[in-house]
Amino acid sequence: MIDRLLDAARGKVDGADALWRREEQTAVSFESGRLKAAGISEEAGLNLRVVAQGRMGVAGTTAAKPDPKELVARARASAELGEAVELAFPNASPQSLPPIPTFFDRTANASLSELIRMGRLLVERLARPDCQVNVAVQREVADTAVGNTAGARGEYRATGIAVTADITRIAGDDVLMVYDQYVGADMPSDADLEALVRSVDTRLTAALKIVTPPDGALPVVFTPAGLAAVVLPLEQALSGKTVLQGSSPLAGKVGEALFDVRLSIRDDPLTPGRPLSRPVDDECVPSRCNGLVERGVVGQFVYDLETAARAKTQSTGNGRRGVFGKPHIGYTNMLFRMADGPQAGAQHAAPLPTLGGGLIDDIQDGLIVDDLIGVGQGNVISGAFSHPVGLAYRVQNGEITGRVKDAAVAGNAYDLLKKIGGFGTDGRWLGARWSPSLLLEGVSVARR
Amino acid sequence: MKDRLAAAVKLSRADYTEIRVERTWSSAVAFRGRRLETATVSEDQGGFVRVLNTGCGWGIASFTSLDELPAMVTRANELSRAVRVDEPIRLAETRPQTGDAILELDGDVRGVPLAEKKQLLDRYNGAMLAVSDKIVDTQSSYRDEVSEVWFVNSEGTSLYQLRPEVVVSGTAIARRNGNIEKGLESIGLRKGWNSVQTFEEQFRVVAQRAVDLLAAPRVRGGAYPVILDNELAGVFIHEAFGHLSEADFVYENPQAREMMTLGRRFGKQVLNVGDNGAAQGLRGTLPYDDEGTPTQDTPLIKEGILVGRLHSRETAAKLGEQPTGNARAISFRHPPIVRMTNTYIAPGKEGVGFDDLITDIKLGVYACGAFGGQTMLENFSFTAGWGYMIRDGKVAELVKDVVLAGNLFQTLDRIDHIAGDFTWNQMGGGCGKGGQFPLPVTEGAPHVRIEEALIGGDI
Repeated sequence: MIDRLLDAARGKVDGADALWRREEQTAVSFESGRLKAAGISEEAGLNLRVVAQGRMGVAGTTAAKPDPKELVARARASAELGEAVELAFPNASPQSLPPIPTFFDRTANASLSELIRMGRLLVERLARPDCQVNVAVQREVADTAVGNTAGARGEYRATGIAVTADITRIAGDDVLMVYDQYVGADMPSDADLEALVRSVDTRLTAALKIVTPPDGALPVVFTPAGLAAVVLPLEQALSGKTVLQGSSPLAGKVGEALFDVRLSIRDDPLTPGRPLSRPVDDECVPSRCNGLVERGVVGQFVYDLETAARAKTQSTGNGRRGVFGKPHIGYTNMLFRMADGPQAGAQHAAPLPTLGGGLIDDIQDGLIVDDLIGVGQGNVISGAFSHPVGLAYRVQNGEITGRVKDAAVAGNAYDLLKKIGGFGTDGRWLGARWSPSLLLEGVSVARR
Repeated sequence: MKDRLAAAVKLSRADYTEIRVERTWSSAVAFRGRRLETATVSEDQGGFVRVLNTGCGWGIASFTSLDELPAMVTRANELSRAVRVDEPIRLAETRPQTGDAILELDGDVRGVPLAEKKQLLDRYNGAMLAVSDKIVDTQSSYRDEVSEVWFVNSEGTSLYQLRPEVVVSGTAIARRNGNIEKGLESIGLRKGWNSVQTFEEQFRVVAQRAVDLLAAPRVRGGAYPVILDNELAGVFIHEAFGHLSEADFVYENPQAREMMTLGRRFGKQVLNVGDNGAAQGLRGTLPYDDEGTPTQDTPLIKEGILVGRLHSRETAAKLGEQPTGNARAISFRHPPIVRMTNTYIAPGKEGVGFDDLITDIKLGVYACGAFGGQTMLENFSFTAGWGYMIRDGKVAELVKDVVLAGNLFQTLDRIDHIAGDFTWNQMGGGCGKGGQFPLPVTEGAPHVRIEEALIGGDI
């Protein structure tokens, strides 16, 4: 399909690249502990970008039998209105792409009853009186092909599986929700599922008792899940796009030490066993690991082809595209780690010994934040955040004393990450991000 | 198409079968700063099959290749039969509906050249950039669509709906040294080209506000009397209460049902709340939901008392209540789930205005506009676009980073004054739930006063 499309484009445009993707999903869902539904979805789509008379245009289709000529005509019409850009289409051959396993037979071949069995196991292990358990298991097999008129081609088949479990406990007017997930390219082992159960269980048990929240500028341990509000501004600021636009606080700061000397942030599409790992990005650029922050120093930003062309630099292999719209910058597997600290493996989660990753011993009075409400809805790029807690625990004299409600935490990611009080021993994957818990000092905590 | 779907339904061996097919024509233009990002025209199409058998669960299939329709009906039936349930899933009775529901296109977007859409957005984007040299970046987008939806089920319902939509939105980023602020405008209408021609001033205003916020202090965290403007009050009722009124939250959960018992007092006498999918011309408006149930105005809170909730056919049957036309799916890629449509706080006494709400507040916050909101049922957050301190009964200085941290029961009960100045707020974007985002919804409210609410921030 890619070849036919690029053939149709050749001669009519200066250059073109295209992506074809076919996805098959199988999902089962358990609602309030009962198996409720099973579903499949099949979707195929084709996305074409052209540069015609120096201008860029795009077109996409989900039609079952796409007409290459029609798609090229639509992309050219889009290009007539488009901006001028000099794209350097890469010409990597399939043989030159880095080897990375993306396809796992066990995942692709797992039967419906196997998916149901996993879900049922979780429902049984998580069952508790007066609690409602929802579990969803979703398996995906996706074929991707990319190519361009410079001769580059790439093709790979990838598997992914997501197992999510949430517990809701309502007692009077108190609503407690605890959630966790396993996401991987390969099937979870029984130990992985057991880790998921323990993770939910540990957090639920510690949350049963409600205590008064503290207030003031306090030490707060952000768990890997709770860290989202702190991480999001950095993800935005490290994108070559915001740098190009002049809205990134990190623009012009490459080489400067802005963060704790122990902090390293990488984007690594070559991490084995992760669903977003792939040998090539959606613009035919071979995958590579990029160091975004190295030992507290801003290393580099991530780019797709167009942003790189405009910023007069090279793509970092972070091009992503859907069926409709043009390619844009996307992260793959983002790793927040302590320099020289433990490496992230394919493993979903390290066994959870206790909450807080071993960081709470010296806290006189503070919080463990596991979930915040409304992350992403403020003035994110500035680094400032202010959110009510979704799930948080009070720490007093090195011990967790209970769950706090009706409290809000606020701070600025850039200020807080200048000096990190500690990296937890509980590093784990959460979706596409790997991180341990972080202890941050001087976080504002307000209570009613 | 209806005949093709009816034939496929007829061949189904399941006890209940429904098929939804969608074809969506859309065009989109986006600017980033002065640069055009994209200008595209797209067509997306696909189908969705859902079946149910006695003693079994739902079998679901979604697909982009309509040639596969008969095979997908068979596949969905197999999936349903693989799911054994102890307690049968029942669907509330509804009268079969047939007909075509064609919403007013108001200037069919399919007939307008893409170049004109680019010009329009260029004007709005340019209005933001022209405000100040401190506006360092903008993100502007125009998106329109005309969606055709066919729905046929095995109970005799056969519908065709034509739904237009148009959204223009802009974010202005202002920067002075390390300080970065944003202003956001977003207008979403279930209308067409004619309805989006005159918004320059709105775009200019949000860019100016982003610049003004550069000099504004952060609000000090703590508990204050708070007045919400119409827009934020709408987001508030959607987040704080609307999601809890969706019956899929309570129907399988005895404790939740107890918490949300009809007849329970949620607020003072002044509080009236509802959801109206049948309201004329709003973004959340639909003649029929995605199970073929006609939409309606559903009262949820009357004079402070919980009186209703939003249903799909399944949740209505389980709770022995009537379907309300709130089963919605964002596209053929998803099953219908219980969602809001146009949710509102009804206006208070006519003639009661903002001045009446503010006059006896010594120190408080006037929270305006909405960057967004999220709920975890009991607790929720909503982020104002900007705010002002209230001092001695008057609006005082501009403040930024105004985020309200709320508890449903405490906050609703603390609404003590509701003005008469109701407006619908037709934003772009939409609501997210169960992986389905963005669903077009509208919120409407007058100015609302909360006696005391928690605002996050430095203390």
